[in-house]
Amino acid sequence: MLEFLEFDFMRKAIVAVVVLSLGMAPVGCFLVLRRLSLAGEAMSHAAIPGIAVAYSIAGLSVLSMTLGGLIAGLSVALLSTVLARVTLLREDANMATLYLLALAGGIFLLSVRGTAVNLESFLFGNILGLRASTLILIGATTTVTLLVMALILRPLILQTVDPVFARSQSKHTWLISAVFMVLVVLNLIAGFRALGTLMAVGLMIVPATAARYWVDAVTPMLGLAFCFGAGSGLLGLALSYWLSNVPSGPSIVLVCGAVFVVSLLFGRNGLNVLARRA
Amino acid sequence: MLQAKDLAVGYGAETVARALTFDVQAGEILAVIGHNGSGKSTLVKTILGIESPQAGALTWTGGTPPQPIGYLGQLTDFDRRFPMRVCDLVETGGWSKLGFFDAAGAGARLRAGEAIARVGLNDIATLPLHKLSAGQLQRALFARTMVQDAQVIILDEPFAAVDQNTEADLMDHVLGWVAEGRSVIMVLHNLSTVLHHCARTLLLGRGTGRFGPSRAVLNAGALVEMGYLAADQARWLTGSLDGVTGGGVTGGGVTGGGGADA
Repeated sequence: MLEFLEFDFMRKAIVAVVVLSLGMAPVGCFLVLRRLSLAGEAMSHAAIPGIAVAYSIAGLSVLSMTLGGLIAGLSVALLSTVLARVTLLREDANMATLYLLALAGGIFLLSVRGTAVNLESFLFGNILGLRASTLILIGATTTVTLLVMALILRPLILQTVDPVFARSQSKHTWLISAVFMVLVVLNLIAGFRALGTLMAVGLMIVPATAARYWVDAVTPMLGLAFCFGAGSGLLGLALSYWLSNVPSGPSIVLVCGAVFVVSLLFGRNGLNVLARRA
Repeated sequence: MLQAKDLAVGYGAETVARALTFDVQAGEILAVIGHNGSGKSTLVKTILGIESPQAGALTWTGGTPPQPIGYLGQLTDFDRRFPMRVCDLVETGGWSKLGFFDAAGAGARLRAGEAIARVGLNDIATLPLHKLSAGQLQRALFARTMVQDAQVIILDEPFAAVDQNTEADLMDHVLGWVAEGRSVIMVLHNLSTVLHHCARTLLLGRGTGRFGPSRAVLNAGALVEMGYLAADQARWLTGSLDGVTGGGVTGGGVTGGGGADA
């Protein structure tokens, strides 16, 4: 039953999903806590045209595709923040519009090029065909994420729980938000090859949401989100191996979904069905 | 401690209040009152350095703003669902003194513990924020302000959501800070609290402000002129006092604003 561990592609996939969860857990937790869960989704779609343009210029180069995605994703985030400041409409309306345009534009570009990139693996990921360069990207992203999160953790917490107080204590709160958004996009792009542009945000948001149902402090929430993410990743991989037609992205996110449902039902901040019956 | 001269405050191109001249000394409470939209919160944000003065000068004793400035604001943007316990929240008051690489350490936890005991929250120190009542949360935020250990403390409507007993308790802490020589700037709506505890008052309204000893600033004429009371309310109030007090309050020592000073 565990014979799949002998395959090289499977071992790569396992390393990828565990390392990816390590970086995505803290980023996802703060996305959820900052009420930006849907913005994360929007950013992941917004990165697509950047990746498409980079691909049509430089081919399948991990570095240029990452850079392209980063520029496109951050432009949409920045533009929707600026538009919300200078016009009446709120940030979410602008962001939804911009990311839809970006998504449409990205798919359009990819189709016009008519190409070697398989649209299905682009959208849903192909974790079983990971190349060494993608693994390096995932490792580097996670390393940077953990280091930067350790540095900005306190201001990030303060800014999330009490933004005006945070601004009264530091002049650099905008910088912390900006750095955090860069981390979000970086992690999404690192997750794209493995989970697909539609599913990458799932490994970020769902474990974090599930973890919040169990705990009432930040540090345990980060740890639990990682355990949920990595565990779901491993089980999801095994599932997509056993049921050979299921792509890995949806299968991993579905296992995350099962963890979410269990947390919702039994977590102390959820519906807590056991405690209510007692 | 702090001196403002011809200060104008506002957001972007819009000026909310101008020609504000006032000062705060060590060991005193300055009350800031005014109708909604008179610029109380804008002034607070300007003093905190979140907004820049549009005109005039804000001068601190010693040249630069003290670090940190104690601050307890309105809870409009406060996220009570954030996963945090009372003791964690109180500890954040000491964070601005920590560098990027410093650990918080046992000293910080000790100071937080003392502050929690002083505001009477020992029993619920490990309760998550979302389980607190409005009064308990306000006590926790007072404890955080204590942990900040600041020489200048700004309280923006600190008693807005709490009952009378809590207000009396918390006011004792404010008086304690003043006795220790700290300066407190307090935005208030309750005139009796102002008259009881605050030596001087900045009354904002009609796009400007008046400053002076509380009992001189808070006369019926000024309150009407600055849009805090309607004329008929003031007439009714002062009329109802006829025969109760021995004469009106005189308006000596008031500076600033309005143009039509009596």
